[in-house]
Amino acid sequence: MGRLRQKGKAGAAKAYVTRTVAIKKLQCSLADFRRLCILKGIFPREPRSRKKANKGSSAPTSFYYAKDIAYLAHEPVLRKLREHKAFAKKLSRAIGRGEWSDAKSLEENKPVYKLDHIIKERYPTFIDAVRDIDDALCMIFLFASLPSNSRVPPSLVENCTRLAAEWQLYVMHTRSLRKAFLSIKGVYYQAEIMDQHVTWLVPYQFTQNIPADVDVRVMLTFLELYQTLLGFILFKLYTDRGLVYPPPLDAKKDEGAAGIGAFVIQDTTQTSTRPIVKNKIVEVDGRLVTGKDVHHTIKSLAANTNTSTDASADVDRTGPETTQKHEEEEFIAQPSKTQQVASLPTLHSLEALPSSSNTSLFSPYAFFLSRETSRPIVEFLIRSFGGRIGWPASSGSGSPFDESDDSITHVIIDRPLFERPDETPEERERRSHRKYIQPQWVVDCINAGKILLEAPYAQGVTELPPHLSPFGEFDGAYDPLSTANGNGAIDEAVGSESDMNEDEEEVEDQDTEASGALNAISVVTDDPASLRAAELVAEASGMDSTSFERKVAKSRRKSKKHDDAEEREKNMNKMMMSNKKRKLYEKMKYSQSKRADERATLEEKKREIQKQKRMAGKS
Amino acid sequence: MVADAQLTKKRKQSHYDDDNTSTFKDAVDIEMLSEEEGDEGDDGLYDGEYENFPGIDVESDEEDSEFEDIEGEEDRNDDEEEDSQDTDIENHHVFPQAKDIISDITGQPKRVFPEIEPDYDSDSSTEDAPNRVGNIPMHWYDDLPHVGYDMDGKSVLKPARGDELDKFLETVEDPTAWTSAFDKNTQSDKPLTSEELDLIRRLYENEVPDAEYDPYEPTTEWFTGKGKEEVMPLSAAPEPKRRWIPSKWEKKKVMKIVRAIRQGRIVPNKPKTATARPQFYAIWSETSASYAPPLPAPKPALPTNAESYNPPEEYLPTAEERRKWEEMEPEDRERDYLPHKYPSLRLVPGYDRFIKERFNRQLDLYMAPRVQRVKLNIDPESLIPKLPSPNSLKPFPTYRSLRFQHPDLARCISVSPDGAWVVSGDEKGTVSLWEIIVGREVKRWKFGGKIGAIQWCPRNDANYFVVGSEDALHCLVPPNLPQTVYQATLETLAPTNLPPTPETPSPVKWSTPVSNSWTDETPLLTIRLPSGSGLPNHVAWHRKGDYMASVCTGGSQGGVWIHQISRRHSQAPFKKVKGNVQLVLFHPLKPHFFVATQQYVRMYNLSEQKLLKTLIPGIKWISSMDVHPSGDHLIVGGYDRKLCWFDLELSDKPYKILRCVSVFFLCGTNNQSSFWLYRYHSRAIRSLQFHPIYPLFASSSDDGTIQVFHARVYNDLMTDPLIVPLKILRGHGVANGLGVLQVKWCSKHPWLVSAGADGGINVWCS
Repeated sequence: MGRLRQKGKAGAAKAYVTRTVAIKKLQCSLADFRRLCILKGIFPREPRSRKKANKGSSAPTSFYYAKDIAYLAHEPVLRKLREHKAFAKKLSRAIGRGEWSDAKSLEENKPVYKLDHIIKERYPTFIDAVRDIDDALCMIFLFASLPSNSRVPPSLVENCTRLAAEWQLYVMHTRSLRKAFLSIKGVYYQAEIMDQHVTWLVPYQFTQNIPADVDVRVMLTFLELYQTLLGFILFKLYTDRGLVYPPPLDAKKDEGAAGIGAFVIQDTTQTSTRPIVKNKIVEVDGRLVTGKDVHHTIKSLAANTNTSTDASADVDRTGPETTQKHEEEEFIAQPSKTQQVASLPTLHSLEALPSSSNTSLFSPYAFFLSRETSRPIVEFLIRSFGGRIGWPASSGSGSPFDESDDSITHVIIDRPLFERPDETPEERERRSHRKYIQPQWVVDCINAGKILLEAPYAQGVTELPPHLSPFGEFDGAYDPLSTANGNGAIDEAVGSESDMNEDEEEVEDQDTEASGALNAISVVTDDPASLRAAELVAEASGMDSTSFERKVAKSRRKSKKHDDAEEREKNMNKMMMSNKKRKLYEKMKYSQSKRADERATLEEKKREIQKQKRMAGKS
Repeated sequence: MVADAQLTKKRKQSHYDDDNTSTFKDAVDIEMLSEEEGDEGDDGLYDGEYENFPGIDVESDEEDSEFEDIEGEEDRNDDEEEDSQDTDIENHHVFPQAKDIISDITGQPKRVFPEIEPDYDSDSSTEDAPNRVGNIPMHWYDDLPHVGYDMDGKSVLKPARGDELDKFLETVEDPTAWTSAFDKNTQSDKPLTSEELDLIRRLYENEVPDAEYDPYEPTTEWFTGKGKEEVMPLSAAPEPKRRWIPSKWEKKKVMKIVRAIRQGRIVPNKPKTATARPQFYAIWSETSASYAPPLPAPKPALPTNAESYNPPEEYLPTAEERRKWEEMEPEDRERDYLPHKYPSLRLVPGYDRFIKERFNRQLDLYMAPRVQRVKLNIDPESLIPKLPSPNSLKPFPTYRSLRFQHPDLARCISVSPDGAWVVSGDEKGTVSLWEIIVGREVKRWKFGGKIGAIQWCPRNDANYFVVGSEDALHCLVPPNLPQTVYQATLETLAPTNLPPTPETPSPVKWSTPVSNSWTDETPLLTIRLPSGSGLPNHVAWHRKGDYMASVCTGGSQGGVWIHQISRRHSQAPFKKVKGNVQLVLFHPLKPHFFVATQQYVRMYNLSEQKLLKTLIPGIKWISSMDVHPSGDHLIVGGYDRKLCWFDLELSDKPYKILRCVSVFFLCGTNNQSSFWLYRYHSRAIRSLQFHPIYPLFASSSDDGTIQVFHARVYNDLMTDPLIVPLKILRGHGVANGLGVLQVKWCSKHPWLVSAGADGGINVWCS
């Protein structure tokens, strides 16, 4: 006989503890337990069998790993929390007795916990930390835009603003921004840092109010962790780059609402402070490139390719970029002058590899912001891709150039067209040199990786091209672009076929031709688009719609008969599936059909819209 | 003195009693028999007076007092000291005083010590008893004249005891008999003293046994209370000087700190923690710990096109979709926003649920349980088992070749062993015999009640079939039989010399009409089941055609009878059957017998007459059952639409269960929505049968369909049987919720005969 096993002494009953038991073991309050869980990243687990884990009870409880709780038990932060509890008692006692000096000294020596060790524990390597900062960035950017109140102290908002600005400075400095997306919730940015995609969401600049059903304590606890985490990450990023962290803040500029511009990126080797915007002037062959030059180049290029590239939607302007590359090359070339090892990949050769995105997309251009556009968004986007940007004084101080600057090539403007009766000829001249575009152009250019045509985004255009997500969707999802192309292709096919039909009409009999078209039908009856094409063919060959439908039905029946037999066989085989497999099969089929349905609904809608548009165009 | 003595007696009564009796005994007569002694004691006690005490000689009195002195006994001394004046001086003496007397014999003076009486301190309880045998079982003296020995070693004789009548008279005459108890030691009745009686009464009434004990005595204050306070100080030393002079050493220590503060070595009131800002440093420059990092939390899904501020128009919700979205609970919504198109970026408002969404994400991070799941990335079609195509498993019935119509619901059919004839019965009592190939009716019989079962005898040399109807089984012979076969049949059913009737008369009556009244119309043999057994709704033949089992709807012993044709004898195999017997079957090869009750199938060995195994199909109500020709497999069908395949050598549980599963996907409004379903029978299964030769079996159901399966069984034990669904045969109508009631295979061909509730009998050919 084996050893007697007592119930609840091994297995799931031992491995899991409920929350109440955990709190009892840690001897702290529920609020403290939550704080600890947030800071240490401990979350409930789902046991395979709730009944086994809860000693036979199926009451709804949350379970934690017993080992997780044991790991929390000797946490220094827990000790600090207990100390804080004692401190709070002492303080209230001192205040109650009117012992003000005691209260003051107590307050001054209040126990404060540090989170450094937790950061190190949760993220043993730097990559781990970078991988997990999405949520941190979202929170930091959210709190940077919140108004301070009694629960959110101004120092916290200030710190968040500073961290957000430091992050943006780093992304701009390293040109690591890859994608951006203007959504209805805010602006999504995606940067590539240490080969990790970091995505964060920044709300539009409106005052956010914390709703009543949100527990601010929880958010602040998370924020506490995120601030520390981001501080350490930024320190590492800046120092690895040879920059001073924290970047010094220019108080005067900050006063004038310069935003990111108030921080000064400082090299650890250099002592002098040099604003980043100063070295952004593009030089080609030692000569300043102005907006005019760029325009001339473009014009000449356009003149050359005017006839051929009429249909293509955008023009790739890589001319000035090569000069930029050339300029950068000089840094690398120095050590490898005497002997060159061809086999070893040099930094240069690595950089020459096709990068996922063109990081110096806007470097030939100078932008000027109109006052109604959101400066933080556009400034960050343009400077991350090497562009120069200026803004009117009403959007904050620190603009590198004003509106009258000749180098400005684009004006980002987001208001309807209006007449300018009192315009000086000088201004008109300037206007004619500049492109007036809406902010979506900037984001679409970034996502496309090339400069798009400005015309569809011109000032006052209400029907902008649709702004699509650069992050893509699941495989087989509805793609708004491809269906548009597909329809075009069908139209083309129909056109060409009907042309062909016209040629053949004299030679061939109607019937054979129609049957030929119907042969095509029988092959592609499932595809509604091709069916429509076939219908058009039939119409062209003089068949009336009823006879066409009859023929289609007939051919369908014929093809179906064969399919049906196979289908029935399969359905009968389904009967022999085991229960487990059957359930899995049903689940998969369900999700597949749901996706297909979603896609089909969208396609249907698209067709409807196109039809309506065509009708409107005709009438 | 008497008054004094009485006073003391009242105070210390019980104590005194002991003294009393002992002194009394000693003084009066040591050798007195206990009875007398008791009597005397009795008297004294009952009087409650102690006048005879003064009559006791002085010696004893003196002795008493002396002993008390030695004991240091309290109050009594004072009283008695007065009596014994001469002994006062010798109070401290341990030994009693000797007396000098003149001897009567010698005439010389001699010193006489008083007799030592063992008293209070010694165990007086043993002293007073004359019998000194101790605490031994007294029955040792049962057949001896004495009951023990006294102090001097003389035997103490048993007191005379009367017989039972005397005892009784004693209890009647003596008024004190009820207060006396039998004393084993003296073998006599001893009256209880009043103290003892009082003690018994007290115990009986739950009082304190000791009458002297007063639970409510007033407390005596010895050290507390008024006038007893301590007023003197412990020490008279004057207060030392250090109590009011400041400490020199303390001053030195304070001055040390003061000096340190002045020199700036100590900064007083420096806030230690409150205003400390977090210091960042290269935390990742040290080597990281060896453990694996905790799994990162899953990232939220990236935004799709629908979330754009300027999405393509097809993403915008229609009014209907918008209404649906708003009606849904926020938790059920697939998206937490409605797509919206803004003509320009400056018109995009702030998102009002931004903070709420961030908060929800954080709740997910720290409160939601996380589970790692393996995602399967396979084609769902690969889950469907790969079975051989039905086309490769031909022949099996595929089409209906003919239909034979009965006027009423056709309940039972049977195919002749040669596979050329079908006999079918209906609810109205009609039994038709027709050819399977052309469907021509050859003969029709008419019975009174409805037909419950028809089964053709499997014998080849004889040819007849059994029809179960109305408490009876009729053996009918088809017409136009070859002469030899006909003779054999006659010999079987109506032998010229009947077998001897069994000793015990059976309730089942076998009857054959007289030979001159034999016609084709009437049965040659009728087996009348006991009345009240109801309609025989199932008949099963043993493969050799001699034994036949029938199941009736009612009757005792589960309605199961086994009939032996050759001996014209019927017997009920079960005395008592647990459950309601539905079906019985003979094993095709072994002497085994299957009995299906409502939920279980039991397998009996008929030769050994014992239960072999119980199969548990898990069906609520078994409707049909058939055993594979190899005898190793059994299929059981139920009214709850399930079919179970048992491997009899494997387990009591089914190897395979076929059940009705219907799945409907109704997605959206467009024609591309998929609607697929697959199912076994959607209504109750009515009948099952294996084909005797071909690897086929068929099942019929109330949904009006017949399903044909390929069932290949392998000889080696390792390969599982292969079951392939082949064909669903439709062609029967559903009448009154009943579909196809019975299916039977044609034994030589892969043809199927099925009887439907609509009265039609179909023949399905390959």
